[in-house]
Amino acid sequence: MIADENGGTVVVSVQHLTVRAKQKKILDDVSLDFESSSLTAVVGPSGCGKTTFVRSLNRMVELTPGLTIDGAILYLGQNIYDPHVNPVMVRRRIGMVFQRPTVFPTSIFENAAFGLRLVGEEISVIEKNVEEALRRSGLWEEVKDDLDRPALSLSGGQQQRLCIARALVTQPRVLLMDEPTSALDPAATQRVEATMQRLKEDYVVVLVTHNVSQAARVSDRIAVLHQGHLIEVGPTAEVLERPRNPLTAEFITGRFS
Amino acid sequence: MASATAGLGTDTAQDLLFDRSFRTRWRLGFDKVIGWVLPLLFLVAIIPILDLVYYIASQALPTLTWTVLTSTNPYDPDALGVPILSTAAIMLFATSLAVLLGLFGGVATAEFLPERAAGWVRMTANMLVGTPSVVLGYFGYFLLVITFGWGLSFVAGSVTLAFFMTPYVFRIADLAYSSIPRPIREAAYGSGARPYQYVLRVAAPIAFPQILNGVFLALAIGVGETAPIVLTTTQSVIFPPTIYSPVTFLTGTIWENFSQPAGSPSLALAFQAALILLVVVVALNILVRVISARYQKRLEGLYQ
Repeated sequence: MIADENGGTVVVSVQHLTVRAKQKKILDDVSLDFESSSLTAVVGPSGCGKTTFVRSLNRMVELTPGLTIDGAILYLGQNIYDPHVNPVMVRRRIGMVFQRPTVFPTSIFENAAFGLRLVGEEISVIEKNVEEALRRSGLWEEVKDDLDRPALSLSGGQQQRLCIARALVTQPRVLLMDEPTSALDPAATQRVEATMQRLKEDYVVVLVTHNVSQAARVSDRIAVLHQGHLIEVGPTAEVLERPRNPLTAEFITGRFS
Repeated sequence: MASATAGLGTDTAQDLLFDRSFRTRWRLGFDKVIGWVLPLLFLVAIIPILDLVYYIASQALPTLTWTVLTSTNPYDPDALGVPILSTAAIMLFATSLAVLLGLFGGVATAEFLPERAAGWVRMTANMLVGTPSVVLGYFGYFLLVITFGWGLSFVAGSVTLAFFMTPYVFRIADLAYSSIPRPIREAAYGSGARPYQYVLRVAAPIAFPQILNGVFLALAIGVGETAPIVLTTTQSVIFPPTIYSPVTFLTGTIWENFSQPAGSPSLALAFQAALILLVVVVALNILVRVISARYQKRLEGLYQ
């Protein structure tokens, strides 16, 4: 592990990441480090590449045919794009939550246990980890008495917190969130944001959002993408109050989105 | 009365709410007429079907007894016991084979093949569905009966029928797997599922009602087929058949008997066989609706 100048541990290090679709560069030479116990918000206008960026971090980007990826992403010093690395293993270590709740049509328990069922974990371990994951995602108190209920009977916000629990159950160090509240109402959004606040104590959280005020509420650090370039990165308050790049200033004041 | 197009100057509430222009009145009237014409057209369409059912029933029922349905006595030429049991045996074998091939092919095409190759496979399946069954029957005859030397037999008939049914199962399996919401697929892979784990644990329960529909559809189509079976096997009065023995089939019984003289028991037998097929097909359709509706209920609210 590499300690940086602030004393934190760099868990994920993105180095010269370039993603192309045919001739067009979706991401152009992006380099960025993520430290333990931090929440970084990746913001930018639509089409800036922020979703592609976060999907690169656990090789989900490879499910989209026709993209070529250059550069390296180091997870605890190991390049996850090394030809010997199995993307399945990467995705088991780096969890992901999507724009809209994606629960499977099984029970609440089986949804949360999914990642451990995949590796054939013992039921006692599964039960323990499911409880912990549900506690961390802030859903435990609401569902502990009927874990066998169909997950689809939960509300949208509860479903999204179940998806967070599903991502946490394999005890990853990194949690990727791709606009996790874009389909939720304000009350559900608030609960998910509270969950994020708690999660950043123990995980590297990378939050993609188009919502600058959400980034202001929950993040320690903001990274701004514009047309595939990383144009600014810094502590949240600093970027929002004194943006160095004029494009950042335009974006956060809402002149384009 | 002001027309709608001249409404600019006269937009009182009455003019706006009670549009009495010629066009609007004509449309409303047309709506009414169509409301009467469509049910009439529906009646016109189902009259021949009802007539057919009535005709078959009127020819079949007078001499239909329990013995006709159940007797497997080889010396009783006017019984349906052997054809019914043989048909069940053939359908069991052919459906199992068709489901195996169609399901594997459909899943492979939807989930594992590159887009180009999948396109070719889908086109082939569509061509097979469009191929006249008599052509498949000849294919089965020349390949299985002659070249493989299986003779006019149970196995040649069932395998040919399975060829005929496979593209139906394939198309539905492919469709069912392809239409699983992409975010659900990504959530599974994002949790570290291997492709086979996605296919079996996540996709299978979602695709199941649709696939069940496809299997029953193939069964209903297969049980009513004549050409693939009369060309690859031949009538037999013995049940159970062995793998290489000839075997009879309900549509084969119709085929053999419907040219018999009017009033003969053999002609009635053809109508009785037809009635049984009708009942089986209708029952299968109802059954599949009931079962898949029950499973579909579990999927309510999936990725909305």
